[in-house]
Amino acid sequence: MKYLSILLIVLLSACSTAVPVTAKFPDAPGKGSMERCTDLVKLQDGVKLSDVSKTISINYETYYSCAVKADTWQEWYQIQKNIYEKAGK
Amino acid sequence: MWIVELLPDWVLHLILLAGIVGTTAGFVLGMIPVIKQYIIPIRVISIILVVFGLFLEGALFDNQTWILRVKEVEAKLAIAEAESAKANNKITEKSNTQNNKQKEKTVIVKQYIDREVKRYDNQCVIPNEFVKAHNDSAERAK
Repeated sequence: MKYLSILLIVLLSACSTAVPVTAKFPDAPGKGSMERCTDLVKLQDGVKLSDVSKTISINYETYYSCAVKADTWQEWYQIQKNIYEKAGK
Repeated sequence: MWIVELLPDWVLHLILLAGIVGTTAGFVLGMIPVIKQYIIPIRVISIILVVFGLFLEGALFDNQTWILRVKEVEAKLAIAEAESAKANNKITEKSNTQNNKQKEKTVIVKQYIDREVKRYDNQCVIPNEFVKAHNDSAERAK
């Protein structure tokens, strides 16, 4: 029984399979993509029309830069997915 | 498998070879007096060696197959990583260009405001209700 147990342990040792391959997670698309979208600028009381226009313009810029960020991440995901699916075949 | 990784390949081959030689000796050369004297232990040990040797040969073959597969996957991953880095540079460049264009556009719009809209500053009073509505909309929902 003792020898049988030893033999069983030796045979079962064949089941231990270490997986040495590790895939590096792809980097983010640029440093800016990791930054949070900034808050929109607010108006002060008694503000002039030109200041309102400028604030709106700044806020649109903020929105579009954030939209670019979102588009970039979507494109990044799609491309990286294709690359890694191709590698897995 | 640790035994396969621990022992050199030739030791595994030697175990099987010893088992085959021992089994052959134990069953074929039994008539020789020296061998006849130890026939039972030779047969038992040899059969154990053959069984264990075959097991190790199988493990060795399996291990080598896996090593080849790992190398294949590593090569594929290296290509994928290179492609991924290249694609990342392209995407980053594209996003930087778009952001710069947007900034340039804002500068032009601001210049236009200074030139054309500023003239109406005295004619138009912005009510506080408008300011409140704008600021409430601009605030991130909590």
